[in-house]
Amino acid sequence: MSVNDGKKLLHVESIDVSYGKLKVIFDVSLYIDDGEVVVLVGRNGAGKTTLFRTIAGFLKIRKGAIRYREEEINPYKAFEVAQKGIRYIHQDKHVFSTLSVSENLELAGHAIGNKDFGPVFEYFPKIETLLDRRAGNLSGGERQMLLIAMALLGKPDLILMDEPTEGLAPHIITDLATSFKKISKTTTLFIIEQNLPLTAQIADRVYCMREGGIVAEIESKDEIKKMSFEKYL
Amino acid sequence: MWKKTLDRLGPLLVVLLVTVLRYLFPNKISFFTEIAIYTIYVMGNNILYGYLGLVSFGQPFYLGIGGYATALFLAYVGHNPLVALLLGIGSGLVFGIVLGPSFIRLKSSYFALINAALCAIGVFIFERLLIDITRGNDGLWFRSNMSKLPLLDVRLPQSFFLFVVIVLFLVLMIYRHLDRSTLGTMFRGLQSNEEKLKFIGYDTFKIKWVGFTIASCFSTFAGSLYAINFGFVNPSLGENSRAVEVIVATLLGGSGTVYGPFFGAFAFLGIKDIVSRWITRWELVVGILTILVLFRFSKGIWGTIQQYLLGIQKRVSGSNDIRSPKGSRSAGAGS
Ligand SMILES: Nc1ncnc2c1ncn2[C@@H]1O[C@H](COP(=O)(O)OP(=O)(O)O)[C@@H](O)[C@H]1O
Ligand SMILES: [Mg+2]
Repeated sequence: MSVNDGKKLLHVESIDVSYGKLKVIFDVSLYIDDGEVVVLVGRNGAGKTTLFRTIAGFLKIRKGAIRYREEEINPYKAFEVAQKGIRYIHQDKHVFSTLSVSENLELAGHAIGNKDFGPVFEYFPKIETLLDRRAGNLSGGERQMLLIAMALLGKPDLILMDEPTEGLAPHIITDLATSFKKISKTTTLFIIEQNLPLTAQIADRVYCMREGGIVAEIESKDEIKKMSFEKYL
Repeated sequence: MWKKTLDRLGPLLVVLLVTVLRYLFPNKISFFTEIAIYTIYVMGNNILYGYLGLVSFGQPFYLGIGGYATALFLAYVGHNPLVALLLGIGSGLVFGIVLGPSFIRLKSSYFALINAALCAIGVFIFERLLIDITRGNDGLWFRSNMSKLPLLDVRLPQSFFLFVVIVLFLVLMIYRHLDRSTLGTMFRGLQSNEEKLKFIGYDTFKIKWVGFTIASCFSTFAGSLYAINFGFVNPSLGENSRAVEVIVATLLGGSGTVYGPFFGAFAFLGIKDIVSRWITRWELVVGILTILVLFRFSKGIWGTIQQYLLGIQKRVSGSNDIRSPKGSRSAGAGS
C-alpha cells in the first residue's frame, strides 16, 4: 500500500478514549487511504466499536487527534461529522423500525438532498421490492442491506461498518462480500469484522486490536490471504 | 385504494361530518364548535407526543398564552378578531422559539415536568401577577370589542361555527402535508432512533426545536379560538390540573396520526358532555379513560379503524405484505 503521508483520507493519531474514568482506548494510531478496504479485527471488548463511535464524533478523545482530509474532526458533533462525508453503520443493525423502508431511504437521502435511489437499487435490487415494508419487520440480512443503502444515499467518502455480517446466514454473507467489492470501487470502507475468512477475502489491509490498543497492522496481501492476523486475536 | 382516497378526502370528510352533525343537533352548536377547536389543541400535543415522542404535562399553559394574547389585544388594543388570532399564533411562535432550546435539551421526564412547572407559573401570572390587565379570576371580557368581518361575524355562534370549521379544514390540510413531508418523517425518525438520525447527518436538536415550535403554535392558536368563541378568558383556560386531559384525548384518538386528534377530541368531549350530566366530578372518568386507553386501547380510535380497514383490504386482496398504519404509535404498557 502507498504510504503517501499527509494525504490520508482518515488519520487517527495516538488517541485515548474513556467512558467516564474507565479508559478503553490507549494511544491508538491508524490511517485509511482513499479507495482502500481496511478491516479491523479483535475480540469482543477490545474497543473496536468505541473506536468507530469516536471517529463518528459520538465520543470525545482525551488525547491525540482524528484528522479527516487533514481536518481535525473530533470536536465536531456526530451529525456534522456525517455531513463531512463519513457514515457510521451501527453494530446493532437498528433502522428506523417504525418507518417504512422507503421512508428510511428518504431520510437518508434527504440529508444531502439526494432523491436518486437508482444507484443503490443496483447494489441491492432486493431493497426495491421491500419499499412499503415496515423496516422493523425486515430480516437481519435485509436490514443490513437497507443500512448500507442508507449510508450510500448520503454519498459518503468513507463508510464505517461495525460487524455488518454478525448473525447473518452464510449465503447472505457471500452476497454482502460481493457488494462490498462493488461499493469499494467508489467508496472507502473501514469494516469491523470477526469473520476471518471473509476478512481475508475483502481486506486490502488489516488492523488487529486488543485490549484497547492496535497490536498489529498487516499490509501484505499474502499474509492477509493466509489469515496471519489470527495470531493477534 | 380506499386508503389513498380516504387520506385525500380526509380533511373534507371530517369537516362535513362536523357540519352535518351540527345541523342534525342544532342546539349542540357550541359543542361542535368546541370539538373543532379542541382538535387543533390535540394536534399540537400530538406533534409532541405522537411524532416527537415527548410528553408535556403543561399544554394548558400554551392554550392560556394564546388565549390571553388574543384577549389582551381585543380588550385593549384593536378590534379585528383575525389580527387577534394571528397574534395568538405568533405568541406560540415566540414561546416555541424562546423556550425550545432549553426545554428540548432536557431528558424526556424532565421535559414533562418543566412544562408542568411552567403551567403552574402561568396560572399565577394570569391570575395574580397581571391582575391589573387580566382582571384575575373575574376574567377579561371583550366580546363587544370585536368588529364584524366583511363576510363573517364571529360574535354570532352560527357564523363562528362556520369560521372554525373552515379553519379546521385548512389546519387539517397543513397537518396532513406535514405528516407526509420529509419533516414529518424526520419527526417520526427522531422518535424511532435519534442516534441513527444524527449518524446520517441530521441536527436532531434543530428538528426537535422546529417540532416544539410548531406544536406550540397549534396550542396557542387553539387558545385564541377558545378566547374568541367565549368572548372572554379567565385563568382556568391555562389550568395546570387539566394538563392530562389533552394527553388522554391524544391517546384516545390515536397518537402519531393525522386524524387521530379529531377522533380523540370528539370522543373525549363527547364522553365529558354525556357523563357530566350525571356526575359532577367527571375527573373520575378521565382517570378511568386513561387506564383503559393505556392497557386496552393503545392504538386509539383512528388506529383501530385503520387496522380494521387494513384487515378488510387484506381479505379482499389476499396480500400478506401490508405494514401497520403509518406511524401509529402504541402507548400501552411495555411497548
Ligand atoms: N457505554 C459504555 N460505558 C462504559 N463502558 C463501555 C461502554 N461501551 C463499551 N464499554 C466498555 O468498553 C470496552 C470496549 O467495548 P467495545 O468498544 O464495545 O468493544 P468491541 O466493539 O471491540 O467488542 C469494553 O470493556 C466495554 O465493556
Ligand atoms: Mg463492538
